[in-house]
Amino acid sequence: MMRDTIVGRIPNMTSGRGARSRRKGDAKNIIEIRNLVKDYPLGSTTVHALRRMDLDIQEGDFLSIVGPSGSGKTTLLNVIGCIDHATDGSVKVGGTEITTLDDRQITDMRLHRIGFIFQTFNLIPVLDVRENVEFPLLLMKTMSKTEVRTRAEKLIDEVGLTEFVDHRPAELSGGQRQRVAIARALVTNPDIVLADEPTANLDSVTGAQILDLMRTMNKIEKTTFIFSTHDANVLKYARDIIKIKDGQIVKG
Amino acid sequence: MKFLLMISFRNLSRQKRRNLFLGSAMAFGVMIMVLANSFSHGISDILFNKIVVYVAGHVSVIPGEGRGRHLAIFRDKERLEKIVKKNAGDSVIDMDEGVGIFLRAIGNGRTENMVLVGINTGRTYDEKLLKEFDESFHLIEGDYRQLRSRAIENPVILSKEKAELLNVKRNDIIRIRFRNIFGQTQSGRLTVTGIMSNDNTFMQGVMFVELENLKGMMGYRPWECGSIQLTLRDPQRDAVAVADRIHAALVPGPAFIRATVTRGASRAGATVLPFMGNDEKKKKLMADSFRLVKGSMSDALSKDGVLMSATLARALGVRPGSTVEFRFRPKYEKEEASFSAEVSGIFAPDKWTGSETVYMHEALFYPRFYESLPDLAADARRAFIPAAGAPFKGALGTEWELVARARTTDDAKKNMRDITRRRVKAATIQVGSMYETASDVLKLEGVLNLITLTAVLVLFFIILIGVINTLRMTIRERTREIGTIRAIGMQRRDVRRIFILETAFLTLFASIAGVILAFIAMGVLSLIPFNVGDNPMGILLVRQHLHFLPTVGGILGNIALIMVIAVVTAFFPARRAANLSSAEALRHFE
Repeated sequence: MMRDTIVGRIPNMTSGRGARSRRKGDAKNIIEIRNLVKDYPLGSTTVHALRRMDLDIQEGDFLSIVGPSGSGKTTLLNVIGCIDHATDGSVKVGGTEITTLDDRQITDMRLHRIGFIFQTFNLIPVLDVRENVEFPLLLMKTMSKTEVRTRAEKLIDEVGLTEFVDHRPAELSGGQRQRVAIARALVTNPDIVLADEPTANLDSVTGAQILDLMRTMNKIEKTTFIFSTHDANVLKYARDIIKIKDGQIVKG
Repeated sequence: MKFLLMISFRNLSRQKRRNLFLGSAMAFGVMIMVLANSFSHGISDILFNKIVVYVAGHVSVIPGEGRGRHLAIFRDKERLEKIVKKNAGDSVIDMDEGVGIFLRAIGNGRTENMVLVGINTGRTYDEKLLKEFDESFHLIEGDYRQLRSRAIENPVILSKEKAELLNVKRNDIIRIRFRNIFGQTQSGRLTVTGIMSNDNTFMQGVMFVELENLKGMMGYRPWECGSIQLTLRDPQRDAVAVADRIHAALVPGPAFIRATVTRGASRAGATVLPFMGNDEKKKKLMADSFRLVKGSMSDALSKDGVLMSATLARALGVRPGSTVEFRFRPKYEKEEASFSAEVSGIFAPDKWTGSETVYMHEALFYPRFYESLPDLAADARRAFIPAAGAPFKGALGTEWELVARARTTDDAKKNMRDITRRRVKAATIQVGSMYETASDVLKLEGVLNLITLTAVLVLFFIILIGVINTLRMTIRERTREIGTIRAIGMQRRDVRRIFILETAFLTLFASIAGVILAFIAMGVLSLIPFNVGDNPMGILLVRQHLHFLPTVGGILGNIALIMVIAVVTAFFPARRAANLSSAEALRHFE
C-alpha cells in the first residue's frame, strides 16, 4: 500500500523555493504544489494568505494541516479543492494543472476527483440522507438510478446511518450529519477528500468518532484524506501532519 | 433535470411565509387580470353579439338614396342578396335585412320614443334560432310565431319595461307616428302580442315586428330592400375580411336605360346614359368630348340637360327644346315605364359617343332609373355602352356609387360627407364591418383592454419587485448552500436553473390559485344585481348583472405571460447566485 511507504509523521515540505518531496519509495504524488501564492484584497490592503508554498502529498495519505486561526489552512484546502484560485504558482491535482482550467472544467474536477467535508456539515436541508449522498452522483449523470441508489446506500451503511436513510438533516445530530457529509464526499469515489475542521462543531467524543470513521474510510476506500484542524487532540489520528503559520509551512 | 425540479419544488417549502406573501400577491394580480380579461370579453360578447349584431350586424351593406342618403333602399333586393351571399364566405351564420325606424309610440295615456325593428321570423322557425331569440329576448308573455299572424294587426313584441311605461298589456294597441322611406309622416297601429325581459337596457327601447309588415308600413316594394346585415361566427376575426370581399364584388356597372324614344309618330331605339353634371370636372370632360351641332353646351350640361345624337335627332325630327318620350320595360313591374324630357343639345356622333344615344344629366336620369329599374342584364346586348377608352367615360354615371371602405366611424362619415359634397345623384352602397359602423361603441372595449393592460402592468411590477426581493433574500440566506453545491460539483447553469425553476413553480401555483380566486370572484360578482336605471352604462349589464366571459385561451395566455415575466425577472438574481465564487460563498455567514 502506498500509504505504508510513508515514513515519519512530518512530511518532507517547506515554504518557498527548494521544497522537498515527502515521497518515499514508489508512492505517487496526488498533489504537487509549487510556489503557491494566494492573496486576498481586504479593503485597501492585501492579505497574503499563502506565501510561496511548495508541497507534495502522496496518494492514500491521511494528512492533517494544523495551525492557528488565520494561518492559511482553509485557503490551502480551498486551492487544492479547486474552489479558490491561486494568485500565483502551480497546483497539480492528480497530475492536472488546475490553475489553468476554466470554470466548467474546474467544476467537473471537483465533482469527479474531490470530496468535501465541511465544518458546518453543509448538507442540503430539503433532501433526506439518501438524497444528500446521491446528490453528487446525480450531478455526474454517469450511473443509472439503481446504481446511484446502491452506491449511496453502501456508503450510508459504511458510515452507520442505514436506519436514518429517510431522515432530513434537521432530524439528525451533529455527528450524524457529519457522517452523511463523509458519505457524500466519498460517494463519487474521489481521489481526495478535503475536510475543513471536520470536528470543530462536534463534541470531543463525536469528533473522535468522526475521525475514526474518516480513518476507516481512508482504509476502505483508499482515498487520500486531507483535513485541517487547530485542535491538537485530533493530531493523533493523522498519519502525516503539516504545520502552517502565516501562510507558510513550518516544521512540526 | 428531474433532480433539479425536485430540489426547486422542495425549496418552495423553506421560506413558507415569504413565499406565501409573494404567491398571494401574484395570485391577487392574476385574479385581477383574469377578472379584467373576462369582463372585457364579456363586454365584447355583449357588444358584438347582443348589440352590434342587432344595430348593424357584424357586416352591413347599407344602400342610400336621396339628399343626405336618408332613404335606406336598394331597388334590386334579389341581385344585392345574390352578390352578398356569393361573396360572404363560410363564416356567415345569418344574413338578413336590417330595417328599423325611430317612432313615437302612443300607449294607454302615455307616449314614448322607441325604435321599431323588423325581424324575419318567417324563414327561421328552426329550434336553434328560436332558442337564440329566447336567450336574447326572454319572452315572458306571448309567442314569436304570432308575429306572422295575419289575423292580428301588425303584431309587435316589446320589453316589459316599455310595456309598463306605455301602460299596455298583451293584445293592447299601440299607435305609432313615423316617417316612411320617402320622408312622409305616417301613422300606424301595432298590436302587443309578446312581452319580453331584456338582457340589457340598450335593447329595452326596441320593439320587434315582422320584417315584411315593417317594410310595408315604410313603403318598400317587394323587390326592394333596406340594408343587409350579416352575422358572423367569429366576427372579430372575419368581419373586416368579409366586408372587404363583399365591397370588392359590389363594383357597379354602367347605368343606362335601353328605351324607345318617341316624338309624335316617330320612334327609335336609344340608349340613355347619365352624366355626372353636378361635378364640375366631369362636366368639363363632357364639354370637351362632345361636339354640339345644335343647342348650347351650358344648357345641355345643366341639371335638366339632355344631349341627343344628331342621328337620333334626325330620325325623330328633334331640335333643341323638343320634348321626347322615353319608354322602357322595368325589371320587376309588368307595366312599361315612361317619362318625358326636353332635348337641350344635339351632338355629332362619333365612335365613342355612339349614334343612337342620349346623354342625360344625373339629376334627371336617376329618379327615373331607380323608380322603374330596368333589366340591365337583359338590355345590355342591345345597349350602346361607350368603350373604356372614351374620353368622357369617367363622367358617366354608374348603377350606384360604391362608397370607399372605411376603417373607423369617422372615416365612414368623411366618405359620406364627400358623396354629399359632390352631390352625387346615384344611389350609394356602403359596406361596413362592425368596426366602422359601431366603432364608437367598440371604443368601450378598447377602454376595457386598457384597464386590463394596466392590471398587467401593476402585476408586472408586483412580480418584478416581489421576485427580485425574494430571490435576493433567498440567495443571501442560501449563499453557503450555493457555495456547497458549487463545491460539490454543480455547474453554474444548474444553480441558475434551480432558482428560475423555483420562481416558475411559485408563479405557476400562484397563477392557478389566482384563476380559482378569479372564478370565485366572478361567481360572487355575477350574483350582485346592479340597478342602473336609464344610465347608458346599463348596456354593459346582462339582466342587471355583470357579464363575465372567461376563455381558456385568455387564461392560459395570462398564465403564460406571468410565467414569462416571472422567469425573466428571476433570471438576473439567479445568474448572480450562479456566478458566486464557491470559496466566498462558503465563507459567508448571516
